[in-house]
Amino acid sequence: MNKRRMAEVLAAHAEGLTGGAQVMQRLSVTAEERNRLSPLLQLAEHLQQSMQPVQPSAAFVRSLGRELVDNARHQISPAKRPRRTVVIGAAVLGSLVSIASVVGAIVFVVSRSRVRAQARTLHAPAAG
Amino acid sequence: MFGLLYERYVGNIYNYIYYRTSNHHDAEDLTARTFYRALKHFSRYVDRGAPFSAYLYRIAHNLVANWHRDHSRRQIISLDELVTRMPRREGPIALAEEHEEQDWLLDAVRRLPPERQQLLILKFVEQMSNVEIGQVMGRTEGAIKSLYHRTLVALRKELVSEENGREDAI
Repeated sequence: MNKRRMAEVLAAHAEGLTGGAQVMQRLSVTAEERNRLSPLLQLAEHLQQSMQPVQPSAAFVRSLGRELVDNARHQISPAKRPRRTVVIGAAVLGSLVSIASVVGAIVFVVSRSRVRAQARTLHAPAAG
Repeated sequence: MFGLLYERYVGNIYNYIYYRTSNHHDAEDLTARTFYRALKHFSRYVDRGAPFSAYLYRIAHNLVANWHRDHSRRQIISLDELVTRMPRREGPIALAEEHEEQDWLLDAVRRLPPERQQLLILKFVEQMSNVEIGQVMGRTEGAIKSLYHRTLVALRKELVSEENGREDAI
């Protein structure tokens, strides 16, 4: 049995141990192969029995969750600040531009009417 | 979003760190540091096809490596901790034997190189498939199968040589 075949059989056995599909059957492992790998297969079974999942305490999970939420809020605030500054800046700039254009329009209209009035005065026939 | 990921993976990361450090106190501390670090860099996280858990395991793996460097000391599992995680047999003698056997096996696992420990934890504690382990460890499925084979061979050698050492001592 070559190394690749051994690795395949061991991997299939482990998948079977951890609730995966019964790949061992599909690999059609011979009795000789099984005997040869027996010490490693047994070791894998011991590992599976010894390495059981543990649970963190519920209090720890809750308190860390709360801390992370608080931390995330603090982290988001500075990130949002520059965006807010840009929006306010753009709004102020926009207002200034519109005020300037209104003032400009008024100045233009006033100066134009003055010019017209002056022209009318110059071209008007002298009275009497 | 991060809250959902936290709820989904906090147990897995805790388990991984617990088996690497063998005590609940450090497991809690390093689990918290893993999630703080992930949160800090969350905005820069780029999805490259691997699950988010791979990113968390990488952070946890690095923190555990630093922890081992800082605390280069022999790991001891308390009896209470062993009792909580082992299947029970009847009778105090059987229980004591089982403790001893399990302690011996887990001690040997802890002497393996970090990546081999990681593989065994992901396989037996987290019950991941070889493909999932490959995503976490950045290797192909075939490479994971070979590593698993080499890990079992090395672990068996370690156990056999230790057993011979014990017999010689007697």
